[in-house]
Amino acid sequence: MIRLAAVCLPALLLAGCLFPPEPMTTQAEEIRTLFLIIFGLGALVFVGVEGFLIYAVFRYRRRDDRLPAQHHGNTKVEIVWTIIPTVIVLILFVTSMFTLGSISARSDNPVVIEVEGFQWQWTFRYENGYAVTGNFIEPPVLVVPAGDPVRLKLISRDVIHSFFVPAFLIKVDVVPFGQGQAPNELEFTVTAPGTYRGQCAEFCGLLHASMTFTVQALAPADFDAWLAAAASATPTPAASVPPDLHVVELSADNIAFSVHELEVPAGEPFIVRFTNAEGVDHNVAIYDGTEILFTGTKVTGPDVTVDYLVDALDPGEYTFICDFHPIQAMTGTLMVR
Amino acid sequence: MSAQAPARRQGGFPIPLVGMLLFLSSEVMFFGGLFATYFSARASFAGPWGPPSGAEPLEILPIALPITLILVSSSFTMHAAVRAIRRGNSGALRLWLIVTLGLGLLFVSGQAYDYTVLGFGISDGVFGTVFYTLTGFHGAHVFGGVVGLSILTARAGQGQFSARNHVAVEAVSYYWHFVDLVWLALFSTLYFLR
Amino acid sequence: MATTTLAPGSKTYERSWVLDWLTTVDHKKIGVLYIVNAFAFFFFAGLLALVIRSELAVPGLQFVDESTFNQAFTMHGTLMIFLFVVPVFSGFANYVVPLMLGAPDMAFPRINALSFWMLPLGGLLIVSGYLVGGAAAGGWTGYNPLTQEQFSPGDGTDLWIMGLAVVGTASILGSVNFLTTIFKMRAPGMTLFRMPIFVWTVLVTQALILLATPVLTAGLIALFIDRNYGGSFFDPSVGGDPILWQHVFWFFGHPEVYIVILPALGVVSEILPVFSRKPLFGYKAFVWATIAIGLLSFSVWAHHMFTTGVVFLPFFTFMTALIAIPTGVKMFNWLATLWRGSLVFTTAMLFALGVMSMFLIGGISGVMLAAAPVDFHLQDTYFVVAHLHYVFFGGAAMGVFASAYYWFPKMTGRRLNEALGKVHFWMLFVGFNATFFVQHSLGIQGMPRRIADYSADAGWTEMNLISTAGAFLIAASMVPFVVNVITTLLNGEKVGDDPWEGNTLEWATTSPPPTYNFDRLPPIRSERPMFDLRHRDDPNLHPELAHAEIATIEADS
Repeated sequence: MIRLAAVCLPALLLAGCLFPPEPMTTQAEEIRTLFLIIFGLGALVFVGVEGFLIYAVFRYRRRDDRLPAQHHGNTKVEIVWTIIPTVIVLILFVTSMFTLGSISARSDNPVVIEVEGFQWQWTFRYENGYAVTGNFIEPPVLVVPAGDPVRLKLISRDVIHSFFVPAFLIKVDVVPFGQGQAPNELEFTVTAPGTYRGQCAEFCGLLHASMTFTVQALAPADFDAWLAAAASATPTPAASVPPDLHVVELSADNIAFSVHELEVPAGEPFIVRFTNAEGVDHNVAIYDGTEILFTGTKVTGPDVTVDYLVDALDPGEYTFICDFHPIQAMTGTLMVR
Repeated sequence: MSAQAPARRQGGFPIPLVGMLLFLSSEVMFFGGLFATYFSARASFAGPWGPPSGAEPLEILPIALPITLILVSSSFTMHAAVRAIRRGNSGALRLWLIVTLGLGLLFVSGQAYDYTVLGFGISDGVFGTVFYTLTGFHGAHVFGGVVGLSILTARAGQGQFSARNHVAVEAVSYYWHFVDLVWLALFSTLYFLR
Repeated sequence: MATTTLAPGSKTYERSWVLDWLTTVDHKKIGVLYIVNAFAFFFFAGLLALVIRSELAVPGLQFVDESTFNQAFTMHGTLMIFLFVVPVFSGFANYVVPLMLGAPDMAFPRINALSFWMLPLGGLLIVSGYLVGGAAAGGWTGYNPLTQEQFSPGDGTDLWIMGLAVVGTASILGSVNFLTTIFKMRAPGMTLFRMPIFVWTVLVTQALILLATPVLTAGLIALFIDRNYGGSFFDPSVGGDPILWQHVFWFFGHPEVYIVILPALGVVSEILPVFSRKPLFGYKAFVWATIAIGLLSFSVWAHHMFTTGVVFLPFFTFMTALIAIPTGVKMFNWLATLWRGSLVFTTAMLFALGVMSMFLIGGISGVMLAAAPVDFHLQDTYFVVAHLHYVFFGGAAMGVFASAYYWFPKMTGRRLNEALGKVHFWMLFVGFNATFFVQHSLGIQGMPRRIADYSADAGWTEMNLISTAGAFLIAASMVPFVVNVITTLLNGEKVGDDPWEGNTLEWATTSPPPTYNFDRLPPIRSERPMFDLRHRDDPNLHPELAHAEIATIEADS
């Protein structure tokens, strides 16, 4: 018995983490209930079968050379232990279908947000035109109202991604359907304001692990206020470019910069003439350690050139990087002398 | 006499033919997979289904129907070869094998010629892709059958087959009929079902 | 009349040991070649697993970059499934099935050799990706459009496709061989329902290989055409359908997982009766359950696609849950075999019991995933990784080790050291559970799979550390195993024909058997001819023998 307890105790300690996170949408509450029912059935089966196995291992150890009774089978018993799993399976199926119907319900007037997944970040577009695109340093925030239904339209720009929020106990694949097939949708109603992590859950290539985002649920009035303010924020007007500025040239192709060292004079603004040769989004951003000094706007190629106007920098060594692809091949050193 | 290893049963369905039938069921699944991609692409295709604009629509003349008739008749000649050797007639076997082989070659050449006049390629959209993949792999299988028939012809020329000993001929004939059946399914699908 | 041995007594025909093994068509040598090749890939893919677990132990990228990591888990999965766990059982089956049937060899010995040699060729093609700028890195499932040319440039993916096509063709040829052998070369008296249960599981496994693998081949060819010839099968930007790839892949992929596990369940069904001294309880039920699993396996593939939004969820939830029934029947029959048995815990028996316990957990987690709404949360998380490792590793790989300890004496004439074997078992059992049980929790808490790194404030660090520690314990457990194999081959305890008091015909000949397998066979009246032979004078067992059928052809006597 002591051996049994020694085995069970660590298992029980781990069992605490075997329950899903606190469900934060009405749909998640239903999924959690179904999970608990099925987990309970599974735990019963586990205890029964494993229990008998452990019992048999002790009880039926060979003690002598006598041949045990040679039972070949028993039809009645076979029928019984075919029927019992069948019943369990039917319970599982019926409860699953009820839950499925319930979480698939569509409401009449949801807040519709377009979620575009691309290698390797997200863009969220609201009905009033406001859009936010995330990058590696600053993953985007999907602001939603708590208590009101939200419907996401999931669009992919390239490969299959998946929109996953663990606290919502749900994910839906973001599929680049061709031929006019309607994009996948995910509808949910958050139950309480708060901030919830999310990330891509369908392997989508090199920086799949970086494709994170956050969902921020605000009280409905706060949400309306936020949305109005976000839409009306005007972008800062492009400054006119003074002549005679130092220009450094840089291009990107095959997820790599053309050069990894740039040099500019200190104490004066300068231009980074950036050419994106391919159809993948890139930008150029400049950092001092983790401090963001300059973030260039996203450039979608192919064959698009922009002039980034960067404010004067003190002498030193800085890093320039592509926010969308913060990998070795898209990182370089900016020497300011 | 002390016990020896048990005597083997004589007769029963020959082992090489069991092997060939099993192999052919895997081929059914292979072509099944390709047909599945055809039907799936067809079902989800928005727009008119067929060769891309600029190329002519598929017609059964002057090539598709004739090569179908050629392949179907080659099944008859193949069967004639099998019947010949079941009667022990090695000479007739050789003759019918050569005729079948020739008809098979005619089919493959006809298919290849058709490719040059169709006016679209494998990279011309979904239809081009599935058309060439399906007919191409079928043609390759016919060619494989032609190779098998050539080997049989050579062996028959050396007198290796008799009425009691010709299971390779039977096996290749199963393969040949299978390849013919696949073509009939393909031909109907591409040219009639559309 | 004196019997003559058929093995040549003179040395007029002798060739080098190397040439012999390279050109052999003897199913026993080919079986050993399969097993050795499979273990080579097992250790390589295991190293890749250590790379993965080392990187994931704590947040941050310490050892490898994302590209190397993505290649590592792709190659780990591909090699473990296609080059280890499926071929190793083909190897054991190759060795053991003709013996169990009382046959002198497989039906097509030369095709048998061809099937084997295509394996290292295919495996090398797959691995050679590392030499040409990067191995395949699209996951072992190769989803589109990620594996299209524009998102996976370079030759690694093409080599992966070609290698898998070669391996797939090899297994199809193998399945033709196994099925023909089983149908046509059973010794007289061995009706289908007197075959050892392991042979039944091999039969169903090989039928699945025969029918499912060609679909994968078709899909791989289609992907190759997309990548290299401008095809439009799966690329939505030119009119193709990325979900079509998933349908084609999983239509193969789901039967594939039963191809992996069924032989292991068959081995357990051989080992339990021997070491409980009772027949397998419910032999016929077990056969029908195996056949049912085989048939049902073709009807559940889209449960891997629940989150794609295009699958008819009720049908696939129902059919997937249904497979639990025959699987449960098997489990209960095993328990009934142990019940009131006389159990002895050799290493082979320990591994068989390990298979039962671990497969139980894997099966339960699988049924949880069958419920579509629960799958919405758990799909593509570490819960699935835990599930698949409990069935693939806890189930199939432990079955591999059970087979190794059980049949090593037959193959080599020497028994593996039991003490070392038990050390191997317990280290592996503890290491395995430490590695993978926490992964259930990781998945439930929301950690996705196939990520090279994770955030420090996700709360996943401690569990990842435990998992990594377990992985290194698994690696360490291989040391006593390898040491055991080497020392036993060199100077291990020699055994005779039947060291375990086995039930089936492989124990009716020498260890190892002669080239032609059998001098003579005992009468075959049940699925346990050796047991019947040993107990032919036991008055209590006569009633069973009295009901046996008489063979239609009898040996001279």
